[in-house]
Amino acid sequence: MSIAVMKTKAELSFAESFDTIRDQLPGGAGVSAARQAAADKFAQLGLPHRRIEEWKYTDLRNAMKEALPSSVGDETALTIADVIVALGPLAHLDASRVVFVNGAYREELSSASDVAGVEIESLAAVLSEGGERATGLANPAGPDNDAVLALNTAYMTDGSVVSVKEAAAVEKPLLLVHVRAGMEPGFTAVRNVIEVGGKASVQIIEAFVSLPGAVEAGQVNTATRISVGEEAKVLHVSCAADGQANVTHLSNWIVNIAAGADYGGFQLTQGVALARNQIFVAFSGEGAKLDLSGVFLGRNNDHIDTTLVVDHAVPSCESRELFKGVLDDNARGVFQGKIIVQPIAQKTDGKQMSQGLLLSPNAEFDSKPELEIFADDVVCGHGATCAQLDEDLMFYCQSRGIPADVAKVLLIESFIGEAVENIGDEDIVEAIMGFARGWLAQA
Amino acid sequence: MLEIKNLHVKIAEENKPILKGIDLTIPKGEVHAIMGPNGSGKSTLAYILAGRDDYEVTEGDIIWNGESILEMDPDERAASGVFLAFQYPMEIPGVAGLTFLRTAVNALRRKRDQDELTTPEFMKLVKSKAGELNIDVEMLKRPVNVGFSGGEKKRSEILQMALLEPTLCVLDETDSGLDIDALRVVSEGVNALRSPDRAMLVITHYQRLLNHIVPDKVHVLAHGRIQRSGGKELALELEKSGYAEYGEEAA
Ligand SMILES: Nc1ncnc2c1ncn2[C@@H]1O[C@H](COP(=O)(O)OP(=O)(O)O)[C@@H](O)[C@H]1O
Ligand SMILES: [Mg+2]
Repeated sequence: MSIAVMKTKAELSFAESFDTIRDQLPGGAGVSAARQAAADKFAQLGLPHRRIEEWKYTDLRNAMKEALPSSVGDETALTIADVIVALGPLAHLDASRVVFVNGAYREELSSASDVAGVEIESLAAVLSEGGERATGLANPAGPDNDAVLALNTAYMTDGSVVSVKEAAAVEKPLLLVHVRAGMEPGFTAVRNVIEVGGKASVQIIEAFVSLPGAVEAGQVNTATRISVGEEAKVLHVSCAADGQANVTHLSNWIVNIAAGADYGGFQLTQGVALARNQIFVAFSGEGAKLDLSGVFLGRNNDHIDTTLVVDHAVPSCESRELFKGVLDDNARGVFQGKIIVQPIAQKTDGKQMSQGLLLSPNAEFDSKPELEIFADDVVCGHGATCAQLDEDLMFYCQSRGIPADVAKVLLIESFIGEAVENIGDEDIVEAIMGFARGWLAQA
Repeated sequence: MLEIKNLHVKIAEENKPILKGIDLTIPKGEVHAIMGPNGSGKSTLAYILAGRDDYEVTEGDIIWNGESILEMDPDERAASGVFLAFQYPMEIPGVAGLTFLRTAVNALRRKRDQDELTTPEFMKLVKSKAGELNIDVEMLKRPVNVGFSGGEKKRSEILQMALLEPTLCVLDETDSGLDIDALRVVSEGVNALRSPDRAMLVITHYQRLLNHIVPDKVHVLAHGRIQRSGGKELALELEKSGYAEYGEEAA
């Protein structure tokens, strides 16, 4: 006997709404077929739930009660001044901006039309052109049976297609800004596809922010596919800091690193009620380096999950992960880090660390490191800690006249600072710390 | 003036009494030394003055400038002039020394109704005080006390004291782990702060420190009580006899 699983309200409405808006989504026949296949896939998979091993701490089926209407065709009026307000601490960064509002590219708000060494196109435009390139972009190149990625393929409205020329040294960071604005609760799916040529160097920042006063409820599904060419140097930062009470942030990074390349990734997640950040990294050439870190800040009933899979498929690569979470009230943080070392991946050097700081007795941090090592000549290690604020250090600070609330912020900043500083670039570090300080000040 | 009256202290979570009726008065302008065997409760007395909440006062009172400080948080006590130089200064990974010092100095200045120092004013002050204590300002860019030697940590405590301008200075075994040169530098730093407005309580196991910081009075703490009080010559006597009669072999 087979048991028919009851579809939830959210699952049903995702399927229904796809049928009503499919004609408004960009792309010709090829793209449209890919969307339909993804929608069918989603209908078959449903939202991931706790009985699926990778999702055991984050029951999306249970947590995502409804599917908000797609934001396709959004034309919310916004000014550059609005974008600056929404960007907060990132507004000070001297960067080339590509701005999207509720998932639609907005040229008049952007400032990246002419960046030396880089070609930037709107995904919607490329999808609409059709042809092989469009169908290629419709493929997320990630895991096949991921429902969140399938939703992204079915529903993506826009995003950036970035191509960094070989050996280009891109001067200013590229800031891909996704603003949530307006009074209509919506579901926004965006995709960025980034190709970095050999020996090029570039800094790319994705920001997910909202305009103050925007409707509290929102769902964002974002996927970024990035391939890092041989000996290229990339800094890739995501700053998901919506700041509203009822926002779901689902993200996927699909990273491919070629020989000798140096890829640094960082993710900040704060001010979202429910987040699942998946990162899939594959090494495709020897002597490459991955340095991945992240900070997640949660309070109230926030639930923030970071799940990553690093696949050492070739020898002699180095991977580092450092993730730190600060959790208050009833917030829950999840970190799952799987490191696979394939039989041929000798001389792999991998280290992983995740640390939770619990500010309340009801906060929770679940950490699940997983090493799957099939090669023998490797150095791999992982660790996970979970602690409360150090009372002795609090006393030490207070005995020097520092009030308890200030001491607490000082110690929390120092805790997350170690991960943020991995970004390396001082201005970006300062902007990220600016977001974190803003979050801490709301306590 | 500091007045400690019939002070009884136990460990907060246990029923273990440590201080069993301490009476001690230190007028402003005076330096008193407390000596005693290991485990006699010297650090406990220091912590209880600074307001650490691992301990519980079961009886008695601590009066500073005419007011009981028992109900005050550690930072309020610091604002009222209390400073403890820790026997084991703590390391704070991730917080740069200069950030820590500036945060503390300006927090105290606010509480004392003084204007905050600007960054250049602060740096000028730090440079001059650090120079007097042979501390390289570069060291203060590193996280607080992280990777410091024992002696560097003790000097960094005295630097904090000099910057925070307390009026009740409690030094807990500031001499331990110092070689003779460092001991001289630290003592000069402490002596520079001696003034008619300040009371000091210098805790030590050895008489050596008291050659440099000459006390007005010496008290012997053992078994949770002040067993004897006298002038500076009491320290010399203890140096000869050791703490045997107080329950510990001569050092
Ligand atoms: N936090 C604590 N928990 C348990 N025992 C303690 C604690 N602090 C001090 N003690 C005990 O109290 C006594 C006095 O310790 P302390 O004040 O450090 O002495 P001293 O500084 O004179 O060496 C010792 O027996 C010590 O073991
Ligand atoms: Mg002691």
